Amino acid sequence: MMQIDGEFVAKVLCAFIREELHKFGFRRGILGFSGGLDSSVCAALAARALGGKNVLALILPYKDTFSDDVKDAQGLARKLGIRARVLDISPMVDAYFSRYPTEDRVRIGNKMARERMAILYDHSIPEKALILGTSNKTELLIGYGTIHGDMACAINPLGDLYKTQVRALGAYLRLPARILKKAPTAGLWPGQTDEGEIGLKYSEIDAILYELVDERKTVKEAIAAGFNKEAVQRIEARIVRSEFKRKMPPIAKLSARTVGHDFLYPYDRNR
Amino acid sequence: MRVALAQVSSRLGEIRKNLDAHLETIEDARRSRARLVVFPELSLTGYTLMDFVPDVALDPGRHPLFQKLVAASRTIDVVLGFVEEGGKGLFYNAAAYLSRGRIVHIHRKVFLPTAGMFEEGKFFARGQAIRTFAASFGQAGLLICRDFQHYGASYLHFVGGADLIIVISAAPGRGLEARGAFGSSRMWELMGESISFFSTAFVIYCNRVGFEDGKAFAGGSFIFGPTGRRIVKAPEAEETLILADLALDEIRSARKRLTFLRDERPDVVLRSLHRIVGDDAD
Repeated sequence: MMQIDGEFVAKVLCAFIREELHKFGFRRGILGFSGGLDSSVCAALAARALGGKNVLALILPYKDTFSDDVKDAQGLARKLGIRARVLDISPMVDAYFSRYPTEDRVRIGNKMARERMAILYDHSIPEKALILGTSNKTELLIGYGTIHGDMACAINPLGDLYKTQVRALGAYLRLPARILKKAPTAGLWPGQTDEGEIGLKYSEIDAILYELVDERKTVKEAIAAGFNKEAVQRIEARIVRSEFKRKMPPIAKLSARTVGHDFLYPYDRNR
Repeated sequence: MRVALAQVSSRLGEIRKNLDAHLETIEDARRSRARLVVFPELSLTGYTLMDFVPDVALDPGRHPLFQKLVAASRTIDVVLGFVEEGGKGLFYNAAAYLSRGRIVHIHRKVFLPTAGMFEEGKFFARGQAIRTFAASFGQAGLLICRDFQHYGASYLHFVGGADLIIVISAAPGRGLEARGAFGSSRMWELMGESISFFSTAFVIYCNRVGFEDGKAFAGGSFIFGPTGRRIVKAPEAEETLILADLALDEIRSARKRLTFLRDERPDVVLRSLHRIVGDDAD
């Protein structure tokens, strides 16, 4: 169920990247490139779809934390023939927290994610590029991402692939073993791993999500099918709690025709 | 008889640009000596129209752009999809069969998918009829996408004596379980194979490609012959113009041994339907 035909999926996703960009009059894509699995897969797809010179990968570390990841990112950028630029976000982030100090790691991590978002959007203008998103289906469903931070993008090629499937796609794309084997991390603080923070392995999360989302099983049915009760309940709670991250905010309806309610046009309007 | 399947994409809401693309493809097909070219569902307008529907709707008998397509059918028959303004503010997801510079038949989609990712019932009026018509190459029936998944629709074409069942489609690809294709493509082929065999008719299925709002239309257009033999299958999710030569005498030879049409009992079906539908109303 988690298996994918890498060749076919890559073909569809490359066509998606190319066609969506071209429809909106763009030739170039830009992405935040951490050297982790998701952004590496996205960069590799973009290089195939647009040609390496049309992809700009922004490597956005905070000081010298994750310096190995920066090296991985630079190495892969060279291998893929895409352009890469390293930009230290610490002056902007530190400027803010020097005035509004906090020890809250989530607040600091979110600020970093949104700083990266702001830099990507700014760079997208002189670059004449659209931002390629790197949030996968697992993250979107359990809300493991910063709204208006790493979740912000113009198009998202990876959003319907579970983490497990992104890894399979990465293997098909011949990404370096180091990147394929890396423990996934949101990079909010050193030593953080997704699995550590969520408390479940991605293989478990994805298998449960597949039951609940793709197979439309109820929590009860998933537990009856043999999945760990506590894990299923925890994931269901995360899905429910994070709905707001997957939607545009509600608009108070007053008039006869309202944005978001009954002013209904496709995203690809006149494209 | 050579058929061309135009497995193409459309620009959403851009009739004029789509028209130009149609005329080019029609010319390509004609030059390839095809006698019929089939375009996908809503090929003239794009699929995910939503509130665009009234803006792109047209009266095919009068609209000047549509007349260009009608004129282009002087030398080659054309099937295409468009939004028909049926008068009184009723808008239909429609398919037209054009031949010899005339509109021969229009089919209005009867089954409008309105669940999950599909919202057609919110924006279109429902077609009310399924009937065959005399085309240049025999009796033909048109269906649009979801119509084909309700096998009653194909049954009506079968008892209506269809030699060709022409299905135009804008089916998004779904499901990653298959190799080299979307899982959902199997569903269409399964229907194509079954209906062609049990109707002893050609089934011509043209699906679109390209993306709208993240949906990938799966392509994978095909033709099955009247013994259920697959004659041609287009690649998945790739724009292409596929040509296939149909031997129309296969219909006769198929019906010599597969006597489904001869032995069919529409009278029994009709009486039974009356009873079932009547029971439901009680």
